[in-house]
Amino acid sequence: MEKIDDLIKRVQFYFREVTVEELMTSPVFTIHQAQATFRAKEAMRLRHFSGIPVVDERNQLVGIISIEDIIHALESGNLNAPISQNMSRDVVTLSKDELIVDVAKKFELHGFGRFPVIDEKKRVIGIVTQHDLITILLSKLSILYVHDARREPFVHVDNYRSIPTGVDLKKEVPEFQFDIDYMDVSLSGIGASKLKKFLRSKGFSPKFVKRVAIATYEAETNVVIHSGSTGIINAYFKYGVLTVRVKDEGKGIEDVDMAMHEGFSTAPDYIREMGFGAGMGLANIKRCSDRMMIISERGKGVLIEMNFWGRENENIRA
Amino acid sequence: MRTSELENLGFKRITKGDGELKHGYTCDLLSEVMANAESDTVWFTVQSHINVVAVAAITGINAIVLCNGHEFDEETIEKAKDEKISLFTTSLNAFEASGKLYDKGLR
Repeated sequence: MEKIDDLIKRVQFYFREVTVEELMTSPVFTIHQAQATFRAKEAMRLRHFSGIPVVDERNQLVGIISIEDIIHALESGNLNAPISQNMSRDVVTLSKDELIVDVAKKFELHGFGRFPVIDEKKRVIGIVTQHDLITILLSKLSILYVHDARREPFVHVDNYRSIPTGVDLKKEVPEFQFDIDYMDVSLSGIGASKLKKFLRSKGFSPKFVKRVAIATYEAETNVVIHSGSTGIINAYFKYGVLTVRVKDEGKGIEDVDMAMHEGFSTAPDYIREMGFGAGMGLANIKRCSDRMMIISERGKGVLIEMNFWGRENENIRA
Repeated sequence: MRTSELENLGFKRITKGDGELKHGYTCDLLSEVMANAESDTVWFTVQSHINVVAVAAITGINAIVLCNGHEFDEETIEKAKDEKISLFTTSLNAFEASGKLYDKGLR
């Protein structure tokens, strides 16, 4: 847990506006205080909970029962007693408007594994666990997700939602679209240049647009050099996140992990003589984007999604 | 300084254009250039194909100096006009050419 707190402190900037409402699990499973304690034990076993908020008949929070409380009840042969006799009453709660930084402080201060979220009438509306914190850290940070096609069912590519925004890109009409319909490597960058001009015309700042353009250029060049097919560049802007997707139907990447290594390249000599093929493309994309994901498999094309949002001391608007 | 000052330093101008120069960068690997060159840069290279213009436009490079007596492809020149990138050539190698701008205070 110390590590998570530490991580949150270091990256507070990116999370300064994330509220409890965004990270909590909701609706939440609760249990009535008059129930026998073994019912709570069964619910935990079946649903893999480590703690359950306890409520009264008005659905108001009165306590929490954790695995630790169950162990105590077991030791004292109290499993048939009402939960109200075995639960912990000193519950630390959250409200939906609290910020992630405050949540991290509460985890640090109290050492509890979970915090119920309550409304003004003390009704439980959600729960925040350490797992929720980690999930939001991973999805918001610049974490690289590398997937091969076998994992598509798990990342829901068919009905794909952009992870940071939750936007279903299948249903969105891209604000920018460019067909990579040429195979001549010396032409590479036409799409990225067009995207750059488009974004500048939409009022994005030069600094922000530069890194979007560089990442897009690298992805576009990869399509031209490596895919052996045509491709498409789409860009979307929603909820403060710019998403650029570059997709081809070509040869695919046999070993994505290997391809990510700086300096590794499968480009032929004539390409290298032109100053390409240094094995820096994907590394450049990773550096310039705030998050990227690659999905590929041999023979199945490549999909690269890049997400951009503001960095520290960077305005995304001009 | 302005790109026009490159002419005074003996570099041969190939395309028109004016722009601010605050930095210099010398390299022939395109990804390296994009990853490391600042905006408002003069770029020294031996790459002459059309793609250097795209790299310059994306990176914010205002002038390209082609070293070692190489010549730009015709399509590179046309594209540079479109993108308003100043092209120059020199018979100096990249080290010597860069040194002239280093002397003038560019970093």
